[in-house]
Amino acid sequence: MEETNIITHFIAGYPDLKASLATAKGLIDGGAAALEMQIPFSDPSADGPVIENASRKSLEAGFKVADGFNLVKLIHDYADVPVYIMSYSAIVYNMGVDKFVQTAVEAGVKGLIIPDLTPGNDEGLYASGKAHGIDVVPVIIPAVSDERMSEIMAEKPEWAYLALRSGITGSYTKLDDENIGFLERLKKYDAKIMAGFGIRTPEQVEVLAPHCDAAVVGSYIVDSVTKLWNETPFDYDAVKTVAEKSVRYLFTGRG
Amino acid sequence: MKQYNNFFGDFGGRYVPEVLRGPLSELEEAYTNAIKDPDFLAELKDFQKTFIGRPTPLLHAENATKTLGGADIYIKLEGLANTGAHKINNAAGQALLAKRMGKKRVIAETGAGQHGVATASACAKLGLDCVIYMGTEDIRRQRPNVYWMELFGAEVRGVNSGSCTLKDAVNEAFRDWTASYKDTHYLLGSALGPSPYPDMVREFQSVIGNEVVTQTEDIKIDAMVACVGGGSNAIGFFSPFIEKDKPRLIGVEAGGRGKGAGNNAVRMDDSGKLGIVQGYKSYFLLDDDGQVQPTHSISAGLDYPGIGPQLASLGESGRIEFQSATDKDALEALKFFASTEGIIFAMESAHAGAAAIQLAKDLGKGRNIIVNMSGRGDKDLFISAAALYGDKWKEFLEEEAKRI
Ligand SMILES: Cc1ncc(COP(=O)(O)O)c(C=O)c1O
Repeated sequence: MEETNIITHFIAGYPDLKASLATAKGLIDGGAAALEMQIPFSDPSADGPVIENASRKSLEAGFKVADGFNLVKLIHDYADVPVYIMSYSAIVYNMGVDKFVQTAVEAGVKGLIIPDLTPGNDEGLYASGKAHGIDVVPVIIPAVSDERMSEIMAEKPEWAYLALRSGITGSYTKLDDENIGFLERLKKYDAKIMAGFGIRTPEQVEVLAPHCDAAVVGSYIVDSVTKLWNETPFDYDAVKTVAEKSVRYLFTGRG
Repeated sequence: MKQYNNFFGDFGGRYVPEVLRGPLSELEEAYTNAIKDPDFLAELKDFQKTFIGRPTPLLHAENATKTLGGADIYIKLEGLANTGAHKINNAAGQALLAKRMGKKRVIAETGAGQHGVATASACAKLGLDCVIYMGTEDIRRQRPNVYWMELFGAEVRGVNSGSCTLKDAVNEAFRDWTASYKDTHYLLGSALGPSPYPDMVREFQSVIGNEVVTQTEDIKIDAMVACVGGGSNAIGFFSPFIEKDKPRLIGVEAGGRGKGAGNNAVRMDDSGKLGIVQGYKSYFLLDDDGQVQPTHSISAGLDYPGIGPQLASLGESGRIEFQSATDKDALEALKFFASTEGIIFAMESAHAGAAAIQLAKDLGKGRNIIVNMSGRGDKDLFISAAALYGDKWKEFLEEEAKRI
């Protein structure tokens, strides 16, 4: 049987800073292969309501970008798991692309996912990533042309992120000939593929597993934490447990 | 000026996720073809004449001039365009383009509601489905426009995120478009966003400035004044003069309640920071981390935290001067032009009116100023009457509420 890798997405500082660390620990204990930590932005126009609301709550609770980098260090005190940072160009550009990359390297970040800085339109992000030895992960979609794929792959990323459908994060994605077929076509490139957007069930993870190197799960985890927090706020142990259970549930037969 | 620039100096560009690259190149190609195609231009011209009611008049504001005792004031009456503001120039152009591209559905964001009304109206006329995103705070402030949009057959979707105003409606429209671009055109309402929008919106709004050129053949213009939200009325009004060194071009931002973060929407003094937000690089009101800051203005059309990239570039080069007018200045200007000239400025345009009043005094007799009245003030009834009539207006509303 293929090994199933799940990369889990969570929001730094949501529902508060301590709870996001508890979430990360739970995700690790649940068996996540890597963490994708979103640094909240006030105007996350590629995200759906779940992540948007979580980002807003985090910012309202006083989250600063520096807290995000610090969180990565705290996660690594707990376990040696790869941590990717996902954020928007506004946040990266504001700090200065090169400084952002350097700060990420110093914090021990494995890679950066900045969907609105694309190869050729990246303000030097890819070059800076290479210079400082950190992976920049391009986000692609099934509608991308072969010509554009070559441009993107010319950056020689270790990983690429396939958004399984057009649209925003959140709602359920049907896995069909288009996106699974596209995953097969991606095998001709060297980059490893993490695939996500609307992955919320063990069945989807199982279908995806043979076609990519990792499945990314985002809004589903945020939803689980939100539900719990609404019932029993500030119970950090419970946050860790629910995050852990959510990941276990997604591994078929290991729930 | 080239019709497609993408970047204006350091400003502009197209910073979007991969998924929007395709739709934006498709739009760029459609726009750059259409804007050179005599058939499209003829269709647009006819639409401007028969549906929008162009050309709009240039009024010599003789009473206002006499009262102030300074420079002569002329007012470009964009408020007389169908649906009440300059927004229809761009909405009509893009709706015709959407139709040419074979799109069936149009989405748009709106702040003051003027762009929403203009888009809904053009879509009704051209037989396109229409969805308008509008912040719930703006729905409250500009309710009458919601009724008009619905009357035109558009669906108005309230946006309840962030500050619940224009920028949040832009986010929501982008979210929709990310999933719907195959049959949907995103009809962005100001000279901002990823390319080709800033170029395209300027070209469709340049009809304002081009008419001014014809209407002022016998007048030596010393200064032109326009309000600046995202910047569409200003860039269209200034457009034929940008590459010349005269006249003075003055953009007026929302001074709100006065200085201090969150009290205004002034980006072109030291408050604005170079950033990338909503797909383009320009000056934005951001905090230390790059998060977008809250803004305030009495006018729902001027409280956007960014400024169109070409205006930012022209501000940086010094070709356009930037000033601001407070909520109070705007209300005073509204009263002044109503009583002297019998016209009601939209609250947005009244910011330009306020700057023109001051400038007329400063320049003195024998000089000429043109102010762009980007819209008329009917839509602001609930804001201006509450501000100017207070208790009397409240009494009226209470009686009216009992009656219906
Ligand atoms: C009458 C009027 N003027 C000006 C504006 C500001 O937009 P812009 O700066 O794009 O002209 C608006 C926006 O809603 C408006 O309704």
